Amino acid sequence: MLALADAGEVALPVGARLVALALLALVGAIVLGWSSLVSVSLLLLGAAYATHLAADDPALDVRAPLVAAGLLVTAELAYWSLEEREEIRAERGESLRHLGVVTLLALGGLVAGSALLAVADLARADGLAIDLLGAAAAAGALLVVVLYARRTD
Amino acid sequence: MTRAASPRLEGYVIVLAVALVAALVLRRPELAVVAAPFALSLALGLRAAGAPAVAAALAVDAERVVERDEIPATIEVRAATRVERLELLLALPEGVEVASGPGAFAVRLAAGEERSIPVALRCSRWGIYDVGELRLRARDALRIVTWERTVADTTRVSAYPRTESLRRILAPRETQVFTGSEVARTKGDGIEYADLREYVPGDRLRSINWRATARRGGLVVNEQHPERNTDVVLFVDSFSDVQHAGRSTLDDAVRATATLAARYLERRDRVGLVTFGGILRWLQPAMGTSQRFRLVEALLETGVEPTYMWRDVNVIPARILPPKALIVGITPLLDRRFVATMADLRGRGFDLAVVEVDPISYVEAGRTELERLAYRLWLLDRGVLRGRLARLGIAVARWGHDTELDAALEGVRTYRRRARLARV
Repeated sequence: MLALADAGEVALPVGARLVALALLALVGAIVLGWSSLVSVSLLLLGAAYATHLAADDPALDVRAPLVAAGLLVTAELAYWSLEEREEIRAERGESLRHLGVVTLLALGGLVAGSALLAVADLARADGLAIDLLGAAAAAGALLVVVLYARRTD
Repeated sequence: MTRAASPRLEGYVIVLAVALVAALVLRRPELAVVAAPFALSLALGLRAAGAPAVAAALAVDAERVVERDEIPATIEVRAATRVERLELLLALPEGVEVASGPGAFAVRLAAGEERSIPVALRCSRWGIYDVGELRLRARDALRIVTWERTVADTTRVSAYPRTESLRRILAPRETQVFTGSEVARTKGDGIEYADLREYVPGDRLRSINWRATARRGGLVVNEQHPERNTDVVLFVDSFSDVQHAGRSTLDDAVRATATLAARYLERRDRVGLVTFGGILRWLQPAMGTSQRFRLVEALLETGVEPTYMWRDVNVIPARILPPKALIVGITPLLDRRFVATMADLRGRGFDLAVVEVDPISYVEAGRTELERLAYRLWLLDRGVLRGRLARLGIAVARWGHDTELDAALEGVRTYRRRARLARV
């Protein structure tokens, strides 16, 4: 109990610092127009959440889909803001349409995250084989994304 | 179109990778859940991002305009496939700008849709511009992937220099043989009264001055000055240029030249052009509207080309500098070679006048004592050059930004009324 309490006390300032840094990076990205700082900010926010998980150590944090959707909305709005730095005369209703897309995406992310969380809750397994399978799946997914994204026509 | 990853794609891939690795290392499925919306966004975006088939062009409605006038243009877009967001960015050359609003547009096109977007352009400076380059950037609905292409189907637009207001021009000392608007010093058929003389056989009856005849007791006829045209050669100094805050002496010199050319041509005078600098260009004196266009087109190519090769007026064909022509030098009075050329022409007996495009307002005196000393020396040097021209009997009109060209030329007119042409 004492050790957990200590971890919680240490994690709070670390998490707060990470969130502050993330906000700083986000503001920097928007003010300076550096899009790479947005991903830094997202990673810092993710790290803050990971620190919170490590400190609290819940069996399964049910707020994870909300955190995921929040991170996605933050990222979308940040990138949108960067795109708007370029002065472009858009058609009427363009902003509303994109806002709708972002909202749908956030809801979709929330649903997907909840589904994944439910699957993770149902099939809690452990072992090297599971780890290897997860690593291979993650690497494969990333490889597909990278290859598809780099393809030029 | 060339496919490219958006910053969103790169950022999401990084977040996805780090979250998945962290989930495996820390054995926290929540971190994989955090990665799920990013994976979903990437999956949907990459799946929906098909290559768009788009054709676009910028059609410019006028190929000849006066600087600072608006040029109506239209962006024509046609999409064979559906495009969620097509950004059209005008890549305009330096000197051309969009008259109002941004130079980029975003449209959403359905398959087979055509769209015309009106846009007003403006040339901020005279010159020749290739207008029409368009950069197309198509994005999918989730803006994960971008497709880019540049359309370089350009139209050449000539922006003519804006003319200054000028009511009176410099009258050449001598006239030519063709009918024009300048009252000649010689006597002949004309409107302007010149003198009286005794009647000689062959004189027309209507030229008899009956009052004078009654007083003198013999037939007396009126004599008139005929109206003749003149030859004018505009000599533009393109050896050097002073630029400051978007203005330049060469720009002003070209505007003054265009103004003078237009006014002389309106009077049926023959006007020629010599741009004297790194590259020597000339245009034979001629009259008429077509000559005006030729002159302006030749002026548009004027620029400062640095050279160490010295060419004097001997290389200019004799027909370019006809006898009895008035040569008007338009110069910022910065290069001694131009002054030497004026002296050379003066030595050949040409009637000369100089319009000095004053560069004083383009130059700051400097902050340090040394800079201010250099500035004062420069001013003195300019005074010396001006004095050299004055000693040769060449009137100099100083035309600055605070002076009208008309007012500057008035001083020259006064000088020339009192001066007499001397052979040197």
